[in-house]
Amino acid sequence: MMPLAKNSPKEHDSALLKAVAAGDRRALEELYLGYHRRLARFLSRFTPRYENIEEIINDTFMVVWQNANDFRNASLVSTWIIGIAYRTALKAFRSQKNYADMGSLDDHPEQTVDPTNETEVQDWLQHGLNRLPIEQRLTLELAYHMGHSLEEIAAITDCPVGTVKARMFHAREKLRQCLPTLSGAALASPARIG
Amino acid sequence: MTNNRSAGESDHEEVAGLIPWYVNSSLPDQERLKVDAHIAGCAACRADLAEEQKIFERINGAPTVEYMPAASLRRLQSRLDILQSPTDAARSPRVASGRLSKQGLKAASIAVVAISISLLLADRWVQFRAQQAAPNYRTVTSSPARARDEVIRAVFAPTLTLVEMQAILEEADLRIISGPTEAGVYSLAAKSGRPVHASLALLRRHSAVRFAEQTQPETESEPGNSR
Repeated sequence: MMPLAKNSPKEHDSALLKAVAAGDRRALEELYLGYHRRLARFLSRFTPRYENIEEIINDTFMVVWQNANDFRNASLVSTWIIGIAYRTALKAFRSQKNYADMGSLDDHPEQTVDPTNETEVQDWLQHGLNRLPIEQRLTLELAYHMGHSLEEIAAITDCPVGTVKARMFHAREKLRQCLPTLSGAALASPARIG
Repeated sequence: MTNNRSAGESDHEEVAGLIPWYVNSSLPDQERLKVDAHIAGCAACRADLAEEQKIFERINGAPTVEYMPAASLRRLQSRLDILQSPTDAARSPRVASGRLSKQGLKAASIAVVAISISLLLADRWVQFRAQQAAPNYRTVTSSPARARDEVIRAVFAPTLTLVEMQAILEEADLRIISGPTEAGVYSLAAKSGRPVHASLALLRRHSAVRFAEQTQPETESEPGNSR
């Protein structure tokens, strides 16, 4: 691999992708190691199974390897790679009926939740998230877990900004119906879900 | 009056739609100021913001598991090897001409399928020979095959990051030669002439090292001397 100058992370990614487009496997490996942690943490929000996470990440980088020539600098390299990961994950999750399979409160809908117990509230939130349609869940997680801006999510998901806003709006509405105790006033009294 | 109200309602709707990105601090300054100004006079949006902030904090603060990328990268490399070998048919034309013709793609696909079948048959043949040659049982005292140069086997805490693991190995003058296995075991080789027991002691000092054991008796001429 040709030595790359120490530039900003964006420039470094861009130089690596150019090297990948020229067939440099070590550049692909560096890019892989640079993104693995971020993608694995994001995908682990949807599935606890590492084999599923690895499959999505490796499929993503196979696409990166085969299509690096098509990158035209219309977006950041990170947006492009996360966009590929988004589409790969969407395809994988759609093919699995219960993509989350978290084994949480979804298995026990009648269970009572103590809203003063942080672990139970966390489980309850997970339950609410698992019930969202996958596009809405991904939009919400891209914003809240990955910290992406509205425009970045539009680029990653290849959708107009209005569609991203609509998905986020519906996700929040549904989540709010599931999570009444998250509002401060109701935190004192236990609630039942289901 | 009506215009003022409809402008206010439209402002309210716009701000309500921006709250998630206000919460994750990714709004440009101009929009952030607009949200600030609206929220100051709108109790509904303030309540909305407080609720959204709680969801954001719980999602953002949820514990996550750290995964080591090394084994996954090796599996990606194997896929790339299959894709590239032996004629580089599936990749090189793309690099050289930018686009594969339909015929080229067909030929590449056939090559990949042929290689995959050959590898599968070769693997089955090797397994068949191995089954014939070796007894189909293992005694409790027989040790698993040891990698060349391996001096220590170790298991690390699953929460350990790659950087932290590298720092521990660097300190103990060790390098990974294989792993992790399904049980999370790494095979380690010495990087310098430091005695293996000294490296072992350094490893065991770390609470993130769940298990570390020397795999061969130490001799005067330590096998790890080879760099």
